Amino acid sequence: MARHVSFPAGGLRRERRERLLAQRVVQESLVSVAGLIGRPVRLRGGAEIGRLCDLVARWEGETYPSLTGLLVRVARRRAFVPISHVGEIGRTEILLGSARLDLRDYERRSGEVLLAADVLDHQLVDCDGVQVVRASDLYLASMGGGWRLVGVDVGFQSLLRRLGPTRWRTRPTPERVIDWAAIQPFGIDGAALRLRGENHSLARLRPADLADLLEELGRNERQELLGSLQAASAADALEEMEPDALRTLLHELPSSQAAELVGAMEPDEAVDALRDLDDDEREELLAVMPASAALRLQLLLRYPEGTAGGLMTTRLVVARHDDLVAAVRDRLATEYRDAPSDVDAVAVVDENGQFLGDVTALDLMVAGDDEPIGTLVEGTEPVYVPVAATLETLVDELIDSRRGSLVVVDDDRLPLGRILADDVIDALVPDRGRHRVRMHMP
Amino acid sequence: MISALRPMRRLLRRRRRRLVALLAVLGPGVIAANAGNDAGGIATYATAGSQFFYRTLFVMVLVTIALVVVQEMAARLGAYSGEGLVALIREQFSLRIATFAVVCLVVANLGLVVAEFAGIGAAFEIFGVSRYVAVPFAALGIWAAVVFGSYRYAERVFLILSIAFLAYPIAVLLGHPHWGTVASNTVWPHFIANRDFTILAVALVGTTITPYMQLYQAAAVVDRGIGPDDYPRERAETIGGALFANLISMCIIIATAAAIGGTGALQSADQAARALQPVVGSGAKVLFAVGLLGASALAAAVVPLSTAYGLAEAVGAERSVSRHFREARLFLGLFTAQVVVGAAIALLPGNLINLLIRTQILNGVITPVILVFIVVLAHRPSVLGDAVNSRRFHAVAVVCVTAVAALATLVVAQTVLSWIGVA
Repeated sequence: MARHVSFPAGGLRRERRERLLAQRVVQESLVSVAGLIGRPVRLRGGAEIGRLCDLVARWEGETYPSLTGLLVRVARRRAFVPISHVGEIGRTEILLGSARLDLRDYERRSGEVLLAADVLDHQLVDCDGVQVVRASDLYLASMGGGWRLVGVDVGFQSLLRRLGPTRWRTRPTPERVIDWAAIQPFGIDGAALRLRGENHSLARLRPADLADLLEELGRNERQELLGSLQAASAADALEEMEPDALRTLLHELPSSQAAELVGAMEPDEAVDALRDLDDDEREELLAVMPASAALRLQLLLRYPEGTAGGLMTTRLVVARHDDLVAAVRDRLATEYRDAPSDVDAVAVVDENGQFLGDVTALDLMVAGDDEPIGTLVEGTEPVYVPVAATLETLVDELIDSRRGSLVVVDDDRLPLGRILADDVIDALVPDRGRHRVRMHMP
Repeated sequence: MISALRPMRRLLRRRRRRLVALLAVLGPGVIAANAGNDAGGIATYATAGSQFFYRTLFVMVLVTIALVVVQEMAARLGAYSGEGLVALIREQFSLRIATFAVVCLVVANLGLVVAEFAGIGAAFEIFGVSRYVAVPFAALGIWAAVVFGSYRYAERVFLILSIAFLAYPIAVLLGHPHWGTVASNTVWPHFIANRDFTILAVALVGTTITPYMQLYQAAAVVDRGIGPDDYPRERAETIGGALFANLISMCIIIATAAAIGGTGALQSADQAARALQPVVGSGAKVLFAVGLLGASALAAAVVPLSTAYGLAEAVGAERSVSRHFREARLFLGLFTAQVVVGAAIALLPGNLINLLIRTQILNGVITPVILVFIVVLAHRPSVLGDAVNSRRFHAVAVVCVTAVAALATLVVAQTVLSWIGVA
């Protein structure tokens, strides 16, 4: 199902007419929340008892939140009218079915969302389009006997409509409407339920998309989104963030949470992130991190940036030359299942631990089960780089060897880590053509 | 082949970031408040000195208090809500009221852009280059630098150039002002009840408490991830920054008063430059022009960017801005339009210094509107929670805003009355 109800820009005339018709049908069944606010609330007889000041919905994670009541301004109070007392919700007025009215001032109960105050004009995430939006209008529709919030308008036209004369305001202009099913709101009870839902679309987003969302949200929304992600997928997203945005994010998080996330990042990316922090902050994060992770990162931090040591990840699969292929394969499978990583080759070492050569995952796959892995590297010149190698050496070495990664060794030719070609690419083109607008001086 | 340059980029970037970090020690508060000392600021302070000697110093004391109060609120809103001012206004007020605020911001900022291009023109006129040549070229250069992405380097250069204005405090010491008069005019409450003085007072307010500065203050606090925990330090920095900025402003008034006080309203940048003569002698003109050029060019790019960003924030199009700057037509269009209109108005025949001061009066009239929004937001528990204005602070804030608003109303009323020939 197409989630975006969009006006066709071109195409066949017939098709356009059909869509127009469809649009009109949609348009007529929708009630604009922005248009309804401030409208009279009347009794059956026609007597006005007050003006609508907000719509209350309760949301328990279902696709479309249902309306549970109205807030009506009566004299100086905001009275709550349960939906069961509402007779009819029209575009320009609301008719009550019952004359009984509880005139006590409304107090929000947990789980209740005020559509105009909490959702309209606030930031939302459109999970299908992977973008942060601001609601220009909200649309209600009558579904299965109740009123439900079905869509969010993010069009500029709708903003103009709301600015215009009052009678324009009630006419929905579904020019860019997003199905509520694809929307992730923030700061609302029940929203977190959707976030934590098993098959939620946010969970399926690519890390780079999540990173974009994290960069664009306001602080509270960002933390809410981050808090709902698994540490591993949050860390993946963090790896994709712009350095400045990441530094801000780590700064504003409680240090325990920041440390957990940095600890879950790929070591090379974690080191990059840590290098960008103030000295105090870096020490603080390392202090609250599990000792083993902190130790690993501190080791990496010691290598100067721009060298092989500064770029490598310490995640490395090492096999002794006499290990059998089948055994290595099994180990790789287990390790990968527990902690998926970008490792694309196995480093083979001799009995002293010295590096002999790389066996790519493909070579490993096609090799015979009972072969010692050492036979796969026999007669080949091992490709590796010293830990102090410059970026330029790495590039030359990658070009010469045509490999997807390079093993980094120390002075005794013991393998220390691995550099992936994509990290080298990142280092070469840091800004990736993206242009963050800075709206002010440094 | 890999060019030798590319592998260096990441390192360069890192080194640049260290430079930024060095500048960041200054903090949002210092930078925001000192943004007031731009082309319009220099012109207004200088004319205050030349026209009224030291008489405006007491007004500056009041303006300083107001600036401290306002910048503190803006920083607090940023730190506690984690959102920029425009986004807050959109969320907290009805769309119509929010639109009104945004329109005010756009007009005020457009005034600033005009002032910055006028400043560039005035700086080049000191060197004998006609503004009809200098301003279009500068506009084109700034536009291209921002759109094609090399602005960051230019920005550093402009920032360093604008440091020239730190010569003013030295000029004060070497210029032998009448210290007794300076002191009495600073502490003794006084106000001259004539139209020129009132208008100048509004211009002083407008140039010192620019809506742009509050916008910047809140945005920069959010940008750096400063939250409630870091706020006490940020607060001290903000207050310190505002005080420092106004100390410089007052130095400009004093130095100019000592050099050319009593010569009436400032007519040219040449004249204003004479205030720096005690420091660098005949080099005063060059130093003044360099500083004016740096400050103006810096803001001529930054203010339209910030306006365009604010608008994008208001209509909810932030994402198009941060992801594909060049593809974001709305954003690019807004930026371009401001640069074009700003430069075009600065090219209208007439005195540049007068134009500069008029833009500051416009800002002074709009400032109270934005201040009302800030005070209301800072008084809302739904925005700031426990960090809302205390009762005493709120009273002070209300008094400040009322005073600023009263001044602005007076100027508007006088202007309207003079149109219909009453005053």
